[in-house]
Amino acid sequence: MAASKIDIKLYKTQEWVDWCPGCGNFGILNAEQMALAELGLDPKRTVIVSGIGCSGKIAHFINVNGVHTLHGRAVAFATGIKLANPELEVIVNAGDGDQLGIGVGHFVSVGRRNVDITVIVHDNGVYGLTKGQAAPTLPRGVKTKALPEPNINDAINPLLLALASGYTFVARTYAYDVKHAKETIKAAITHKGLALVDVLQPCPTYNNINTKEWYDKRIYKLENWDPVVKSESEIEDKITKAYLKAREWGDKIPIGIFYQNEAVPTYEDRVEERVSTYLKNPPAKQEIDKNGRFVTSIENIVKNKRVV
Amino acid sequence: MVKITWMIGGPQGSGVDTSATVFGNALARAGYYIYGNREYHSNIEGRHSYFNLTISDKPMHSISDDINILVTFEAETIFQHFREVHDYLFYNKALESTKLSTINSIERETAEEIEAFLESVNVPPTVEGVLGYLRGRGVKLIPVEYDKILMAVAEEMKLSVATISRSRNIIAAAVSLRLLGLDKKYLAEAIRGLFKNDLFVKANLLAADKAYGLAEPAYGLKEIPVSGHRVQLDGNTAVAMGKIAGGVRFQSYYPITPASDESVFIEANQVVDAVDPDTKESRKVGIVVLQTEDELAAINASIGAALTGARASTSTSGPGFSLMVEGLGWAGMNEVPVVVTYYMRGAPSTGLPTRSGQADLLFSMHAGHGEFPKIVIASGDHVEAFKDAIWAFNLAERYQTPVIHLVDKSLANAYSIIDESELDYSSMRADRGKIVIPDGSYKRFQFTDDYISPRAFIGNAVMHYTGDEHNEEGHISENSANRIKMYEKRMKKLELADKEIPEESRLNVFGEGDVAVITWGSPKGAVMDAMEELKQDGISMQLIQLRMFNPFPRNLVTKLLKGKSKIIDVENNYTAQAASLVASSTGIQPTNYILKWNGRPITRTEIRNAVKTIMEKDEKRVILSGGQ
Repeated sequence: MAASKIDIKLYKTQEWVDWCPGCGNFGILNAEQMALAELGLDPKRTVIVSGIGCSGKIAHFINVNGVHTLHGRAVAFATGIKLANPELEVIVNAGDGDQLGIGVGHFVSVGRRNVDITVIVHDNGVYGLTKGQAAPTLPRGVKTKALPEPNINDAINPLLLALASGYTFVARTYAYDVKHAKETIKAAITHKGLALVDVLQPCPTYNNINTKEWYDKRIYKLENWDPVVKSESEIEDKITKAYLKAREWGDKIPIGIFYQNEAVPTYEDRVEERVSTYLKNPPAKQEIDKNGRFVTSIENIVKNKRVV
Repeated sequence: MVKITWMIGGPQGSGVDTSATVFGNALARAGYYIYGNREYHSNIEGRHSYFNLTISDKPMHSISDDINILVTFEAETIFQHFREVHDYLFYNKALESTKLSTINSIERETAEEIEAFLESVNVPPTVEGVLGYLRGRGVKLIPVEYDKILMAVAEEMKLSVATISRSRNIIAAAVSLRLLGLDKKYLAEAIRGLFKNDLFVKANLLAADKAYGLAEPAYGLKEIPVSGHRVQLDGNTAVAMGKIAGGVRFQSYYPITPASDESVFIEANQVVDAVDPDTKESRKVGIVVLQTEDELAAINASIGAALTGARASTSTSGPGFSLMVEGLGWAGMNEVPVVVTYYMRGAPSTGLPTRSGQADLLFSMHAGHGEFPKIVIASGDHVEAFKDAIWAFNLAERYQTPVIHLVDKSLANAYSIIDESELDYSSMRADRGKIVIPDGSYKRFQFTDDYISPRAFIGNAVMHYTGDEHNEEGHISENSANRIKMYEKRMKKLELADKEIPEESRLNVFGEGDVAVITWGSPKGAVMDAMEELKQDGISMQLIQLRMFNPFPRNLVTKLLKGKSKIIDVENNYTAQAASLVASSTGIQPTNYILKWNGRPITRTEIRNAVKTIMEKDEKRVILSGGQ
């Protein structure tokens, strides 16, 4: 469905963007709008599915279909949307609390299905909209300004979790490097299969530790790094390297595409294997009636239940 | 009218279900109707399970506590059910000396209760003792040497006994059929119809042959000619078939008893024929069945699918529905037509996972924080379950709101033989509501005169949805005036539904009389069948079966209940939930209640006795406890 590049203005809504000044979400919003524009995606056939929190509002700011769902559940809604109509381009936007806290079960489970959607995690380590509690990616011992005591929980590494769960595209980018974020999001959308883009994102209001300055000093781009699995024999090596690289954190933080494997069949492929007309005639496209008269025949099913 | 009751019991995993199915099929071939209830534990193998069937020349909708023929293979079933049997007991001769105390699979409370009863009638707690007791009460005892027959079959087929041990069930069916007086050819036909493996067909036919002569005909049943076809249906299958016929294209679920069988059936039939009603041209199309990681994902995936235009549903039971409530609220807020089939089981918490209940009516009425319209319907038999599954989609799409379809476990797992013609739904039409493919700009939540906005599918327009309060465009708005108007728009849809849906279609009325019985769900069958019997006792009743609780048919219910000398409410719960809805909608309180919450279905025997008690002693609240 990719067409030629479209004016980015078309991807903006009239809604006032009500994030705090300096919020990393602006970078993600811009990068995402640019990615959609450069890929020339049809707004009618593109869907942003978001969760709850500051990140969730992004569905209202991009002029494609926007489904602002429940806390943690965006991936489940997105799965239903995509499987009912695989022609749609489906992108999930969720915060780290949203996707890796309350929604972590869905985050893991969608990996088993390799549904061809993109999951963008707005990763800032705090629950901003509820005034700065510690979120799942905040390391233990860190005391951001709203915390009465240092964080008592260890952090989840979204990349490692995605690799373990079966994501076939695992990337990290940085909200203040809009160009990198845009290119990463484009690659994720273009990827055939389930893609994670973990976006490191300062929260200028509540995360006074992982600030822009903090990240700017540490972030570097993966170079001489080939994440793409080209044959089955490469999987072990590439996923192991990706795993080790994704663990790097502290003085140096790598961003880029860590791992990509398009050889795994998507869930849609798997359905098509069972239902040969699925992709041509998916659930959303089927006429279930003709002028009110039902078209689905249950004749054979009833026959199978006949006892006399 | 023929009405014979037959029960078979045995440990789970031993083929009791198969036995009942084969036997039922054989009877259907001989022209008889069946209604059978299945009881089992939350256990894979070893715990006591049983089937209770009523055989009749007329369609049946209930079971009885009085059993004519009890078929057993082992000792536990004898101990569990000997007090229910009146005519014949088949038992395994090798087990005569078995003591109650040696049966590990029996629950302690049950064993103690049986032991206390036996002690009270001076009977030793052994199979032998029980047999003596039954003999004294005129029950005829028929020993069956299952092992001997199996060995003979094994020998003839040169197989091990273990390979063909399940033919034990066929032996039971064969002897039973003979007792009823029916030809063994019906059993042979049923065996050939049900078993695919030649080896088992042969072993079962051989076992049937050897067992058939073990009893003498006693009931004198004759073959009844059948016109048209008949089908064997359980509630899960009925709903699944209704959904498929009604155009479901996306079904999501998380495994739970007693709901999963419906989804599994849809998946097994996910490639369906779409036939043009005019040209008859047929093509294969697919239904997506998604097994999710939990019920949160199940309902939300279905909602997502519904946003794209697919008819979408999920099915679950109480514990799963508890998780779905969050998604239900989102669907209500966003006016999404999603159907939830809610199989009620024994609650609260995991409760009685494999038993029945009707204690979730008020929960489904009030599920979710805040106020939003939801339509709640409940089926009272298998044919209703089938047609209601279609109706649910129409209601959901017409009013753009979630529909909860209640089916109790008794109905889900019971099976009946019904005339195929009852499944004729050709008069039903698909109502997809206000669907549009917009040209230009589109407002998903546009204010309209009838409060229903034109609905476009994602893919055909750009639109926005949010669980926050929103404006016509689906963008967040906390504006007071908008809030008032949008809130009212949602709620008014229920008023519209109330105006449009004939009250006559929201309830069924059967019979006439000064006494009204109110019920819903599976007890309908027990009440209907008991009404026939009560007529002979000189008691005429009018049954009002409630089928839609939201919007509630208050005018018709008021009219029907006015002037009745008694109003008896019958439900499988403690607090008489439907009665409270009747009272809150009409101001009329039932005068008497028949309630049961032990997880077992209400039987027609229980209704008959309870109604008599109420008529004679005006007892306010009759509590039922039947069923093992």
